[in-house]
Amino acid sequence: MKKLILGLYFVFLLLLTFFSYFFIDPNLSYFKSLYSEFIFLHRAITSVIYVLLVIFYFCFYLLFLKMYKEKKLTKKNVKWIICLTAFILFFSYPAMLSFDIFNYVLTSKVTFLYHENPYIIMPIEFIKDPLLSFTHGANKVALYGPSWIALTVVPYFLGFGNFVSTLFNFKLLSLFFYLAVSWIINKISKDFISVLLFSLNPLVVIETLVGGHNDIAMMFFALFGLLLFLKKKVFLAFVLLVISIFIKYSTLFLLPVFAYITFLKYKKIETNWNIVYLSCTILMFIPFILSPLREEIYPWYAIWFLSFAVLVPKNKFVLYISLAFSFSLLFRYVPFMLFGTYFGVTPLIKTTVTFSPVVLTGAYLLIKEKLWLKKFSR
Amino acid sequence: MRHKLFLLFFFVILAFPFQSYASSSYVLPYPGSMPGSFSYKPHLLFEKVLEYWYFGNFSQFEYNLKESGKYLVEAKTLFDYQQYLLGYSALKKSDNYFERTKPSLIKAKSEGKDISRNLLILSNAAEKHIEVIEKLKKENPEEFNWQPEKTKASLLNLKSQFDASVEVRKKYL
Repeated sequence: MKKLILGLYFVFLLLLTFFSYFFIDPNLSYFKSLYSEFIFLHRAITSVIYVLLVIFYFCFYLLFLKMYKEKKLTKKNVKWIICLTAFILFFSYPAMLSFDIFNYVLTSKVTFLYHENPYIIMPIEFIKDPLLSFTHGANKVALYGPSWIALTVVPYFLGFGNFVSTLFNFKLLSLFFYLAVSWIINKISKDFISVLLFSLNPLVVIETLVGGHNDIAMMFFALFGLLLFLKKKVFLAFVLLVISIFIKYSTLFLLPVFAYITFLKYKKIETNWNIVYLSCTILMFIPFILSPLREEIYPWYAIWFLSFAVLVPKNKFVLYISLAFSFSLLFRYVPFMLFGTYFGVTPLIKTTVTFSPVVLTGAYLLIKEKLWLKKFSR
Repeated sequence: MRHKLFLLFFFVILAFPFQSYASSSYVLPYPGSMPGSFSYKPHLLFEKVLEYWYFGNFSQFEYNLKESGKYLVEAKTLFDYQQYLLGYSALKKSDNYFERTKPSLIKAKSEGKDISRNLLILSNAAEKHIEVIEKLKKENPEEFNWQPEKTKASLLNLKSQFDASVEVRKKYL
């Protein structure tokens, strides 16, 4: 049975990788031979396939969690699944659900090839650059922090000027941080289930290994900072937090927690790490929920709080709500896939699909735990 | 009769000489801190630091053009308040920055960058700058003897400075 499930999962990953190539941008000349109009001609079929893939992925995820709890999967098995997932999805097309990776490549090109300050000069100013035809947001200066731009020096130069190899080098960078975060969670958490909860979470996997989002890099430095705190290396922990902040700025919200741990260390008071992780989860949930003030809630933003939520797996409320968000956020892509527009009913459907499963999960938890009864009986 | 009225209408219009300036759509930057303000000196220091932040040829072009525009607006304001000496030196600063714009573009071109868009910006900026300077030339005296309280008086040849400033920009039209 275990072999059958793992075999099916392997086939599923191959299908997901194959499906991702249906999303090739028509202006992406580098993948011209692989381009098909399928997603534009068959919007409904594309949406149904995508929904089914997400549902299947969650089924596999829950199945792996169940099998691990029932000791049908060993730690070694889980590690093997994580590596297999990373290896196969590395070959997927990165701009399946968002075009951010093109932006990363172009920003590094502005910095390292054109030797211009990306915070002043917009990519669109390099009129004849071939990447402009398919990069979204080229009329904006760099959105990410200097730490991220510094990190991109590696994938950019290892691409040797070839766009496709540079693109996949950026995916490789995400893959590296994905494995590194899995390793850190394993180090920090006393329970290996945390690794499984994070590293095989469909949202984390799709947004990191397919989409190549840099949120995983930001979370790597923040978690590494916490790990150094555990090892009593306070100064280095702060250095890593600063690096993390200057990737995408959201981890600035973790500063109070880091300051609090330092205070406790200074006062020689024992740190309750579960409270620390829970505080980090709540604090990282704040920029996530406030993101509509800037633009909108993007699914990959959930990685911010998921990285800490998995460290408190015994807190059912946090765990279930996190899982509900992981599930619902991936459906935010469906209205656009179906209607091909960001306007009309799309924003309403996006909001509904994002919050309905979370509200339902919250209500279920309240009823199941009879929290309301406990409250009234006090 | 109709022809006569038409001719009369033309005669009336031509009888009133009026001068028109070419008006450029280019918008000059906000001047920021002005001389005399307590924040002016830190502002000058910040400007120097900012020069390093604007690394890269396109960035340098942007920086120099922005600074040139800022000092031109500063000069205009100072001339409006009859602060001729300060206005005169602000205009000179603006000229210096303006002269530094093209070399960055030449360097950018040698690196294979397409500079056509920047050249257009530069030409529009030059047009706007000339428009402002010509107006200043009209509204201010040709010479001014600046007599400070404790130091020696200095004769400011404003007309030749305005002409020189126009010449600096005319090359880029």
